[in-house]
Amino acid sequence: MGRIGASSTPVAPPRSFASGVRVGLVLGGLALAAAPGIRRAGRSWRNRVAVEGGSMSPAVLDGEWLLVDPDAFRDRGPREGELVLVADPGRPDRLLVKRVAAIAADGLLDLRGDAPEASTDSRDFGPVPPSQVLGRPWARYWPPRRIGRVR
Amino acid sequence: MLRQRLVAALAPRRVAHAHCDVPCGVYDPAPAQIAARTVSRMVELLNGITGMELEDRNKMVRCTAVKEQHAELVKREVQVIWSDYFKPEHLEKYPELHDLSWRVLKQASKCKQSVDAEAAAELERLVGRFAEIFWASKGAPAHLMTPSAEGAPKNVISWEVRAS
Repeated sequence: MGRIGASSTPVAPPRSFASGVRVGLVLGGLALAAAPGIRRAGRSWRNRVAVEGGSMSPAVLDGEWLLVDPDAFRDRGPREGELVLVADPGRPDRLLVKRVAAIAADGLLDLRGDAPEASTDSRDFGPVPPSQVLGRPWARYWPPRRIGRVR
Repeated sequence: MLRQRLVAALAPRRVAHAHCDVPCGVYDPAPAQIAARTVSRMVELLNGITGMELEDRNKMVRCTAVKEQHAELVKREVQVIWSDYFKPEHLEKYPELHDLSWRVLKQASKCKQSVDAEAAAELERLVGRFAEIFWASKGAPAHLMTPSAEGAPKNVISWEVRAS
């Protein structure tokens, strides 16, 4: 861009030092506020998953693509009602999306599908320790008409 | 082309299952229905034996053995679907499920003890109802759910032709 040499006639009136600071503060504040969200989007993008099966219908449908935040439960445990991505207790190489139906006194998670008639969950494989939870699916980015948060 | 590449770039690398386990998809009450039909047929054959020649006795023993095995098969197949496939939500929807399963198992035992066409027909009827509930729970179309007029499930007809 040849703007440096061509800037002999300033487009905007010169700003005072104070207003410059103000703009800087606002921009910096915005950046600070947005940074965690951007970072979360970044790490979630690296942990995107394709959902297979209808046991989480209607919250999440077969074939939808989700963003999973792997750090969602670093500082706190999963709460009742939240979606979780867990390693299948029966086949640890496989991932499951389920909902935390209840948390037992010993901290174990009782997982359920939203469509219990068509779900293999804690009723089959028992309660799951929170250490098995790999992240929280929090957004859907495919299909386009269903883009948005999942809960 | 571009669209394909875009989709490929966006596509996740991993699958997260929101599933029902694989066995869930392969439960089928048909073997129980076939077994119940077999019990009926064996009772029919046994009732048709009049003589006491060696051939007759041979046939009697064979039919009785098959009747015994298939009554046991009914119990096994129904019990597996009952305990492994059906979930509490199904029970809520079909409150007769527990009692029905129990009656199927009892009726199968009754068929072992007797050579009674009525008892065998009742076993077929109960297993048919069990199959109906199974298919209804899967939202299957009605033609899969209803046994044919004679009480034999439709998908068993070919078997019957082969056996007779």
